[in-house]
This record gives sequence, C-alpha cells and structure tokens, in this order.
Amino acid sequence: MALIRVEHVDKSFASRHGTIAIMQDINLSVKDSDFVALVGPSGCGKSTLLRLIQGLDRPTGGRIYFRDQPIDRVCRQMAMVFQNFALYPWLTVSQNVAFGLEALGWSAERIAPQVERYISVIGLDGFQEAYPRELSGGMRQRVGLARALAVEPAVLLMDEPFSALDPLTAESLRDEVLQLWRDPQLPPEAVLLVSHNIEEAIELADRVIVLSRRPGHVLAEVPVDLPRPRDRKSSAFYDLTDRVYSLITQGGPASEGAPRAG
Amino acid sequence: MVAAYALSLAFSLAYGYYAATHRGGERVMIPVLDILQSVPILGFFPFAVAVLAAATPGSFLGPNFASVFLIFTSMAWNMVFGVYESLKTLPGDLKEAADTFGLRGYLLFRRVLFPATVSRLVYNSVLSWTAGWFFLVEAEIFSTNTSSALPGIGSYLSFAANAGNLNEFLAGIIVLVVVIALLDFAVWRPLGRWAERFRYDQSPSGEGGELPGATYATGRFRRATSFVTRGVRTGVSRLSTPLVQLAAITVRPGRHPSPRRRSAVYYLALGTILVLVWLLLIALTVAIFDVFTSPISPAVRQQISLVPIAMGASILRVAAAYAICLAIALPLAMKVARSTLANRVGLPIIEVVASFPATALFPVIIFVLVPYLTPDGAAVLMLLTGMMWYLFFNLLSGVRSLPPDLVEAAHSFGLDGRRFFRRVLLPGIFPALITGSITAFGGGWNTLIVAEYLNLRSGQQLSVLGIGELIDIGNGLGPRGDALMVTALLTLVVTVVAINEVIWKPLYRRAVTQYRYD
Repeated sequence: MALIRVEHVDKSFASRHGTIAIMQDINLSVKDSDFVALVGPSGCGKSTLLRLIQGLDRPTGGRIYFRDQPIDRVCRQMAMVFQNFALYPWLTVSQNVAFGLEALGWSAERIAPQVERYISVIGLDGFQEAYPRELSGGMRQRVGLARALAVEPAVLLMDEPFSALDPLTAESLRDEVLQLWRDPQLPPEAVLLVSHNIEEAIELADRVIVLSRRPGHVLAEVPVDLPRPRDRKSSAFYDLTDRVYSLITQGGPASEGAPRAG
Repeated sequence: MVAAYALSLAFSLAYGYYAATHRGGERVMIPVLDILQSVPILGFFPFAVAVLAAATPGSFLGPNFASVFLIFTSMAWNMVFGVYESLKTLPGDLKEAADTFGLRGYLLFRRVLFPATVSRLVYNSVLSWTAGWFFLVEAEIFSTNTSSALPGIGSYLSFAANAGNLNEFLAGIIVLVVVIALLDFAVWRPLGRWAERFRYDQSPSGEGGELPGATYATGRFRRATSFVTRGVRTGVSRLSTPLVQLAAITVRPGRHPSPRRRSAVYYLALGTILVLVWLLLIALTVAIFDVFTSPISPAVRQQISLVPIAMGASILRVAAAYAICLAIALPLAMKVARSTLANRVGLPIIEVVASFPATALFPVIIFVLVPYLTPDGAAVLMLLTGMMWYLFFNLLSGVRSLPPDLVEAAHSFGLDGRRFFRRVLLPGIFPALITGSITAFGGGWNTLIVAEYLNLRSGQQLSVLGIGELIDIGNGLGPRGDALMVTALLTLVVTVVAINEVIWKPLYRRAVTQYRYD
C-alpha cells in the first residue's frame, strides 16, 4: 500500500503580475520503507510540494492521500525537518524536542522519557538544558531531527536539511539519518527528502524524482539500485549523477516565471 | 518647523559623526544625549520660553525661537542616534575598502559616510517629523495658557475650541490633515524609496511564493523607536553604573547570595539611592529658591508637598492607559499582520491617524467628552492617543518579523490556539513588546503635561491631580511658581529614570539575550 499518493496536483500563487503556476500535474507516490528524494532547479516548487503533502498548504488542483485518506489538514503522522532548523530560541533543547509532543497533548510524565530517549538516540546527551544559540549548526539540526522523530512519525519530511551545514557535518548527519531509517525499532518508516544537491539525493535515496523548472512537473523517476554504503567515486554513481544532472539542465519548457492570465 | 528640522539635520550629522569617530567624544556625548532625550521634552519648554523671551523683549521672536527649540529637541535625538548607530554598524570591510583607496575628508563623507547614514536618517526623519507635529501643536496650546501666545495652527485650534467655534476648529483640523498627507505622499514616500537604495542588508528572496514585505511605515517606526530605546538603555545604564557601584559598596553581603536574592538587594539599594538622590535634589531646589529669589509662598509650598502624591497618581494613570493600549494594540496588530484585507485597507488609515498630532484634538476631547467622562477618564483617554501608536507599530512589526519557519514549524507540529499564542507568538514578539512599551511610556510621560491640565477660556477646565498638572500650574503662576515647576520636573525625571532602570532595563536585557533570533 502506498503511504503517500500525490495525484494531478497543481499549485499556483496569485501575484501582482497575475497568477504564477508553481507546479503542474504532479504525480508521485511514497511506499512503506521508501527513501525518496525530490530534486530540481530552484524555484520548481520542491519545498512547496513538501508542504502540500503535510497539509500545511492546499493544492490549487488535484488530491493528496496519506494511507488512502485525503489530506485536508496538517497530517500529524508526518514530521518536518527544516532547512534553517526552525528551533525556538526561547526554548531549551529539551523543550524544543518536547514541542511536538506538547502539541499532541501528551502529559508531562509521558513527555519526559520520550524526550530523553530521542535526545540520546540523536546524540544530544548533556545538552538538554542548552539553548539553541549555544549550539553549532550541526547540533542544532540534530535538535530539529530529534524534535521531528520524537512524535514517531510514519513519514519524515526533510526540506534541504543539510544545506545550511558545513560539508563534513552534513556527511555525518546524512549517515545517521540513513541508519535511523534502516532501524526497524525507530521511526520513520519512510523519508521524503527535498534537496538541490544531486549527489546527496543519489547517495541517500531509493528513488530520485526529478522536477522540471517552473511550473514544476515530474520529469523522471530515477531508481537508485546501488548497494549501500554508496561510493560517490564509483563510476555507477557518477553515471547516475550525470543522468539526473542532464535531465535537470535540459528538461522542461523554458517558461520560468511566465505569468498566465489570471 | 522647517527651521527646526534643518537645525536637527545639521546637528545630528555633526554630533553623530563626531561621536561615532572620536572615542573620547563618544564617552561623553552619547550619555549626555541619552539623559537629555529620556527627559520629557515638554518640561523644558517653559524655561526656554522664559529665557528666550527675556532675551528678546517685546517681540514675537522669543517665543518663536522657543518653539523652534522645542521642536528641535523633539526631532534631534532620534536622528542623532540614527546617524551614530549607522556609522557604528557600518560593515568593517566597507570602511577598510575606503581606507585602502585612501578616501578621506569630504570625499569620504560623500561617498561612504553619508550614504551609510541616509537610510536610517530618512526613516528617523519621518518619525521626527511626526513627533514634531505633536509637539508643535502641544507647544502652541501650552503657550496659549500663558501670556505669550504663538500664532500657528496649534494656537488657532486652541482658540477656536476655546471660543466654541466648531467650524473654525474643523477647518483647522482639515488643513492639518491635508498638510500631513501631502507631506507624506510628496516628500517622505519618495524619499523613503530613494533611501532604500542605500541599504546594504539585502536578504535573498525565498523560493516560490511572494511574501508581503514589511511596509514602509512599520519599518520606519520600528527602526526609529529601536534607536530611541537603545539610547535610553545605554543612557540609563551609564547613568546607573556609579549608583550601582555605590550600592555594591554600601551593601556588601558576607555570604554569596543567590542570584534572585542579590537582585532583590540590588533593586532595594537602587531604589533607596534614587529616592535619596531625589530628596536631595528637591531640598536643594527649595533651598536655592529660598536663598536666591524671593521666599516661596505658603500656597506654592503646599503645592510642592503634593508632588509625591501627584507623581503616584500620574504613574497610575499612565499605567492604566498602557494597559488599555496593550489590550487594543495587540489584537489589532495580530489582525492586521494576518489578514491581507486589513493590511491593505486598514493600515494606510492607521498610518494617517497615527501621524496626526493627537494633541490637536485635545480641546475637542475636553469639549465633547468631559461631560460624559470623569476628568480622570479624559486624561487617560488623552494619554492613550500619545501612547497607542508606538505600541501598535512595534507589535505589528514584531508579529510580522516572526521568522516564517518558526510559525510553519508550529503548524507542522499542530500547535494552535492558546498554546500557539503562549509558546510561539508571545515569546516571539517579546522584544518588540518591550521596545514598544518603553517608547509608549516615553510618549505617555510627554503627554501627561497636556493631558492632566487644560484650561479653556470658555470656563471649562480639565484638571486632575498629577505631576503634569503641577508643572502646568507652576508655569501658569509665572516666577512665583518656578520652584514648584522645578521640583515637579525633577520628580518626573527621577521617576522616569527609576522606572527605566528597575522595570525596562532588566526586561530589555532579557529580551535581547533570551528572545533573540540568530
């Protein structure tokens, strides 16, 4: 059974110069224990699509289903990791991790052990009482990750989670996300990653969905059959990267930002 | 008014530039400025009138100089801080680049220093101008209470209201509105757009959707008020450091007390010292008047003894007005920030209303409303008009500048309703709330002087016991009332400094450390 189905989704924004179509007729699905990456040029609506999937925003046309239920409000079985962490500066690490659980209405006695558990899973032990500004970028994103995992989501949505980190930190955090996903004891079942880094997408995902320039639509779904851990220097890896790269640079009509009557 | 503005501009460029570039100058000039600007401007007006009228006897020149001076004092401080801050925060590499090319003197000023200050100077000019209107009208109304009336829109309105001539009054209001609106559209908006080019903190636009940017007005209010607040903060801290050191000497605890207890001791000591300083000043003033001028009459002496109670009443009044402001401004700001309709239709209206000098309406408030309101109610209402907009615009920009990803994360985790308000919104706008509160209180202290005592020739009089009232009475009594005026004024100054120190400064410190985004 598909966890997520996106069917014929359109999204457009009204602007001063008329209606701008962000994406058109998007179709895709995420299955159980899938790791899917969305790649595409900037402005193609990758991040917008992620928000539509969780129900933070409504599509202009088409439907999105989670376990065959249409998404008509924010889906609590998904949790999001943000590009710039979106941590609350006035809350400690523990309080930030507890944030989603509080919103779910958990009692304080239930929240405490859950928070402890995910803080140690993510390797934040000893930083419980620290404030986000006292942490490095990598540690902050760990908090963001722990906060998302603490609600034990079926699907982890990641919006460019490694873009704001330095390359070495990003690499180690990528490994950890991969381990979490493969650990059957731990959430999530599936991961949907938005990235503009093609190598990153191919290194992590089972499938890479390539979106076109605006208005975005699905150019191709590239399965990644390479065994893990993947070697970025292998020729198979290189060939895949090259393929996705040429899809992005050549594919799609060059109608970026073209206004439509509206 | 134009004269006052030109003076302010020249003064702020010179003063700000000198303070920013000369270390020695900075150490003296900025604290001086801080103290000057945290003192209610209007209190000094009677002095200025008296001194300048004496200097040019028998002509209109004296009072006119005085009013130019008053408007200057209302305009200059935040412009000076604008120049000073923008020069201090000039990115180091821009300065270095100028150095490597050997730019100096006039060329350095034209190519680097002036452009660096333009953006903030324009923003602050707008606010200065608004404040200028406020004080212009207030000054002229104030002067109609004394013998030397100034011809101008303010006194015109005041006379019209006194005479009960509604048509004239309305005509005056309409003229004022038209002038303000014209200035806004013909001068400040183009200037604001022009100044945008000089900003160097461009943030890259996000992917996809177009977010409505913070509007011009909220931007300018926020900027301007934040300079003022920062000024107050540094001024207060510099002023208080010696006091605190004194406190540390007098209260030297044997054991190491807990932070909470230490802060209690600290405030107790500070409070005591402030009260002592205040008593000393009062005693000194009375003594000086007794010795150097004719002895203080018993009636005035009795008025002076009322000063502490009056101050208490005034504090309560300002606090009440503040609470009402908050109750109105917070929901309003949230509404305007969230709904596009309210933003598009409501905000321009609010902007015009906000830049209209509320002081012009005071005669009407008395005329129309006093029969229905208690004098206290009318005074609080007038205070509202002088406090509301600072709070509103600060809150609005606070709600607007909540980082979108924090709001989105809250939605993503399903936080809503009261929990969202308590966990996200309130902490998120906390710095703006504090800044707005400080400036609102500043506005409140200034408005007090008119709000507590208005004398209309038609026989109606608004007078409630308060520090503003005593200052006015002292002024009205002429030379005999000087002692009263000075003591009342000193009390007001000490109170304002004390409130800044005890309430706002700790809150502000907390706002900038704990509730800051980075």
